[in-house]
Amino acid sequence: MKKIVVDGVTKTFGDTVALDNVSFEVPAGEFVAILGVSGSGKSTLLRCMSALTEPTEGEIIIDEEPMVTPRPEVAMIFQQHNIIGDMTAYSNALSGAIHEAGLVESIFQLQDRDEKERALEALDTVGLLDEAQKKARRMSGGQQQRVGIARALVQRPTVLLADEPVASLDPGSAQDVMRYLQHAAEQRDLTTFISLHQVNIARKFGQRFIGLRDGQKVFDGYRDELTIDAVDKIYGDIDTEGMFVRPDSEPDGSPTEVAR
Amino acid sequence: MTGRDGEPTEPVADGGTEDPAPDGGVEDATAEGEAPLETGGTVQSDIERAELSIKEQFENIRQTRRRRAVGWVALLGVLGYLLGQGMAATEMIRPELRWSAFADALTQYFPVTSFGGVPFIDFGQYYEFIVELNLLYDPSVGDLLLQWPPDFWAFFVEELGMFTIFGEAGITLSMGFVGTIIGFPLALVFSILASERVTPFPFNFIFRAVMSFIRAIPAIVWALIFVPLASLGPVPATLAIGLNTVGNLGRLFVEDLEELEEGPIEAMQTTGASKPQIIFFGMLSQVKTSFIAWTLYIFEINVRSAVTVGVIGAGGLGSVVNAQRGQFEYTNMMATLLCIFILIMAVEIFSQRLRARLRSDEEKRGWWELVTGFPQRMAESAMR
Repeated sequence: MKKIVVDGVTKTFGDTVALDNVSFEVPAGEFVAILGVSGSGKSTLLRCMSALTEPTEGEIIIDEEPMVTPRPEVAMIFQQHNIIGDMTAYSNALSGAIHEAGLVESIFQLQDRDEKERALEALDTVGLLDEAQKKARRMSGGQQQRVGIARALVQRPTVLLADEPVASLDPGSAQDVMRYLQHAAEQRDLTTFISLHQVNIARKFGQRFIGLRDGQKVFDGYRDELTIDAVDKIYGDIDTEGMFVRPDSEPDGSPTEVAR
Repeated sequence: MTGRDGEPTEPVADGGTEDPAPDGGVEDATAEGEAPLETGGTVQSDIERAELSIKEQFENIRQTRRRRAVGWVALLGVLGYLLGQGMAATEMIRPELRWSAFADALTQYFPVTSFGGVPFIDFGQYYEFIVELNLLYDPSVGDLLLQWPPDFWAFFVEELGMFTIFGEAGITLSMGFVGTIIGFPLALVFSILASERVTPFPFNFIFRAVMSFIRAIPAIVWALIFVPLASLGPVPATLAIGLNTVGNLGRLFVEDLEELEEGPIEAMQTTGASKPQIIFFGMLSQVKTSFIAWTLYIFEINVRSAVTVGVIGAGGLGSVVNAQRGQFEYTNMMATLLCIFILIMAVEIFSQRLRARLRSDEEKRGWWELVTGFPQRMAESAMR
């Protein structure tokens, strides 16, 4: 049930090969970190999985149904959060339930009380219940990203895709956002795919890791298999010193604890 | 020539602009430059080569400048020729100017009175006419408010006094206002349909073409077209302004919709939103503020065009201008222009203040504070 199958997915943009015959299978409930440098195909993979982009070859099957158009049960979180700045955190969260409402209903927010409470619950999950009435535009980057997560949660997804959700955040906010993501995934039993370029964050939160390099899958394994050699294979010859220290020591000064 | 070795760049900088000598100089240099090459060592020949390439470059620059000068002269010649042709077409070559008549008119435009021997423009005459024709204020409506007790029911409901209290200016203002409100929803629909994201490529151009067609015909001509429908008066003028709004405002909306960010649209797609929902939440939410600002801007323009359309007799200040001109009552005409100036300034100040507030990202002031804080802000800006 709820298995995610990526089967021989290739995506080319003109002459550029963004994804080269990538295949893997993920059972329900795993927290998967997709690793790779910029341009390795992480975003393209997630966009294919959410059906925002159509693969050139191969197919993606989620819950025994191929992804051809975006589906509400597969929610996506973006690097630039893509929430609506002119609306409040609450309205943004509520827009996750948009597929259950008609146009007029959604414009004037005439949804059922249930759905509205669902939006508030999601804001609570990401620790923003008190900021519900605040305009999204006036929030900090980390808060905006959490509103994006809340919106995704209101969709009642089974699969959560996050494309570099913490790439443009400072280390503190990045930790926060990752913590809330992990918490939400556990609480709601979601299968989660997060693309990251920071190995230390990935190691701290990830359960399973898929490494991409130049569009090819070069690594697929669980935490204990992610050795320095594996990281070298994904990132090439970079200075990996220090990357393996932080994950073991608890980072201090992270301000928030996960809400309930 | 020895001096040149030390300062090789100078002839390039100077000679190009004013010195006619370089022609001769260049020839000299090449002639002399060959001599040391034969006798001198490698160091010497390097210097010579550098000097040569400087000469070459200098020559290049000179030619470029000469070519550019020829181009400018040619352009000026063509423009002059076209100007002559154009002036012939507009009868400007030997216009029959009646200076004395114009001088007469000027004294009527600006009636002069003197006060203790010092000449003044006689604003009293303007004022008389403004009051006589209720250009800025209609006492029969205004008295409903000023009497004691004020009759609010009669003012707001029976007499519909919100605009009519401002007399002729109120008619002009309401023409612009109603035209903007009529045009807005249509402009919105047309611009959305003209966007390539919503309507696939060749078909979206149908809506663009319609808007271009509307724009191609000025409001005043549209008003003439509507005269058979509603007879000469404010009705065809307002319809014309409304229609023109569709063309102009729609065009501005289209520009904004072109520059949308893909992100929020994709985000709405992944939530499973329907197409109209994607348009509303993904697209329009991005441009809401800017659309309101553009609409205010078009309102400004529409009030001005209500004056122009009025000139054909469609009511408001514009018709008064034309009527007074027809009766050679130039003082009255100028008084009306003064009212137009006041009206337009008021509308512009209102619209520009509002737009500035919309665009600024600071915490917005409440309406109540906006009204009550007005004297304070006026004083502040007066002191500045």
